Amino acid sequence: MVNHAQASYPNECCGAMIGSIDGDQKTVMFALALDNVSQGSQRARYELRPEDLLRADREARERKLDLIGIYHSHPDCAAYFSETDLKNSCPWYSFVVLSIQEGKFDHANSWLPNAEQTHAEKEELLWPES
Amino acid sequence: MARILIPTPLRQFAEKNDNVELPGATVGEVLGALTTRFPDLKKNLYNEEGKLRSFVNVYLNDEDIRYISKEATPVAEGDTLSIVPSIAGGAYVG
Repeated sequence: MVNHAQASYPNECCGAMIGSIDGDQKTVMFALALDNVSQGSQRARYELRPEDLLRADREARERKLDLIGIYHSHPDCAAYFSETDLKNSCPWYSFVVLSIQEGKFDHANSWLPNAEQTHAEKEELLWPES
Repeated sequence: MARILIPTPLRQFAEKNDNVELPGATVGEVLGALTTRFPDLKKNLYNEEGKLRSFVNVYLNDEDIRYISKEATPVAEGDTLSIVPSIAGGAYVG
């Protein structure tokens, strides 16, 4: 996900996170880089093709795993959940936002939006040190 | 009977099923059977006006039902329905 986000800089990247869920804990086992199909400048916008998400869900099922979330990057911008993110989100998935500053990964946050698309709860995000 | 694939986060509202087979001659009827069997799914899929939420797309096999006949799209024995969200966003506000 970090490599994808850095390689896409200065544009936003997006993709699917596939893994498992155990109670409240979600574990990402691999990420699928998906196309950003947003029309116009992609420096601050992303859009996923629903067909790509359908494909990601099928791939997860074939591997006996789950599609658990979506990631995207914010180039030269903090990893907050923007109004645009919220209004175009869906409450079913965790949304990881990666902040890329001058081409390098800086920090990331995970967000869980509500059904009304009015609020996103910050989730604890842990990753291996190496 | 058609098979509906349940997205992971919604399985908690569907007795943990990852797919279910349900009767119905149209997509709308099959979705109705789904929310009758699992009422907690309804608020996740439909808004207060009873319309599918804006971010909910339904695929009949590989086709988006919006480009067929929406919820009136006929369903045949053995068809698969998938529930797929629309997702977009970005740092830009406006």
